[in-house]
Amino acid sequence: MNCFKINDIYDYIEGSLSPERREELERHLSGCPRCRRAVEDRKLIAGAASGLPPIAVPDDFTQRVMARITPAKVKAPVWLFILACASSFLALTAVVMIASGRSALGIISGASHSFWEYVKSAAVLTAKAATLLTLAGKTTRPLLEAVYKGLSVLTSFIHPGLQIFILILAMGLVVSLFFGMRKKFSLGD
Amino acid sequence: MNEEQDQVLVRRTLRGDKKAFEMIVRKYQQPLLSYVGRMVRERELALDFTQDVFVRAYASLRSFEPRYKFSTWLFKIASNLVIDHWRKKKLPTFSLSEPLRKDEDCLTLDVPDDEPAVGRKFELAELRQRIETALEKLPGPLRELFVWRHVNELSYEEMAEIKGLPLGTIKNRVFQAKEMVRRLLQEMS
Repeated sequence: MNCFKINDIYDYIEGSLSPERREELERHLSGCPRCRRAVEDRKLIAGAASGLPPIAVPDDFTQRVMARITPAKVKAPVWLFILACASSFLALTAVVMIASGRSALGIISGASHSFWEYVKSAAVLTAKAATLLTLAGKTTRPLLEAVYKGLSVLTSFIHPGLQIFILILAMGLVVSLFFGMRKKFSLGD
Repeated sequence: MNEEQDQVLVRRTLRGDKKAFEMIVRKYQQPLLSYVGRMVRERELALDFTQDVFVRAYASLRSFEPRYKFSTWLFKIASNLVIDHWRKKKLPTFSLSEPLRKDEDCLTLDVPDDEPAVGRKFELAELRQRIETALEKLPGPLRELFVWRHVNELSYEEMAEIKGLPLGTIKNRVFQAKEMVRRLLQEMS
């Protein structure tokens, strides 16, 4: 008498054997104590395993999860975005026309003239900004040099071990600030 | 796990209803924690991971395809987190689609031999306790399938969908996991 494979025994226990195969296996079991014991043992273990206790969830678990999630972004359709842009542009044009008291054609013909005016103004503004930056550089340089000298004097007084400790402390502060900010931004608190 | 109700809750969450997502969390926190807890074996870590599952699910809810089961999708997120954890900890793992290694010969699922029965040796509570201990010794990927089958009561089809493997492969691996637990129980008795 050929014994059934373990696969068939598990299928039999789970009730997924075809009716013919099931009948065949039951006939075999009545005459084979080894297979009978194999079925009974696996049934007992499967029964016990299916009743394994769940792991207790803390009372505040749901609140903790909900505190971590950010509101779902409601995605607006693309056509709505285009429509909003177009209406805004039209409204702005209408306001400009009414305020200037000119016709649309007049505004268009005047636009090319105004464009060159803007370019000229922008060039003058850039030159002024460059001069200001140079001046700022000249003023802050002595200040930076003074700070550097002050630090050099200070470090000559402090023990190197203490300097390393202060450095590590400062780095730790910067890293914790960085991660704190990152967490804040990523969770959207 | 009522699938239709899940789909309704997902749609409500996508419309910005946070209460709906809270209901999802309440519904799945217990089964997910029972699974993750047995995978990582540290309570605090398991709680953190289970929270992460919900946070990730919420963040990527738009990518959820309603043709799949929501519970299956959640377990897939949890499984990916667990596998990442195993890899980071350099814990031994293997692909379920790989053929059996030589040291896994005991899992060939051949006909039952004359091994002694273990199910009757212990009282039910003790048998459950010993199954939990045996689970700790089971390789991660087999433990995962065993827990899904017996604790979470997932079907083979659901497990195949989560792992992206053929149904036959999954079924075979679950039977191997059961056999391995049985062998470990024998060694313990």
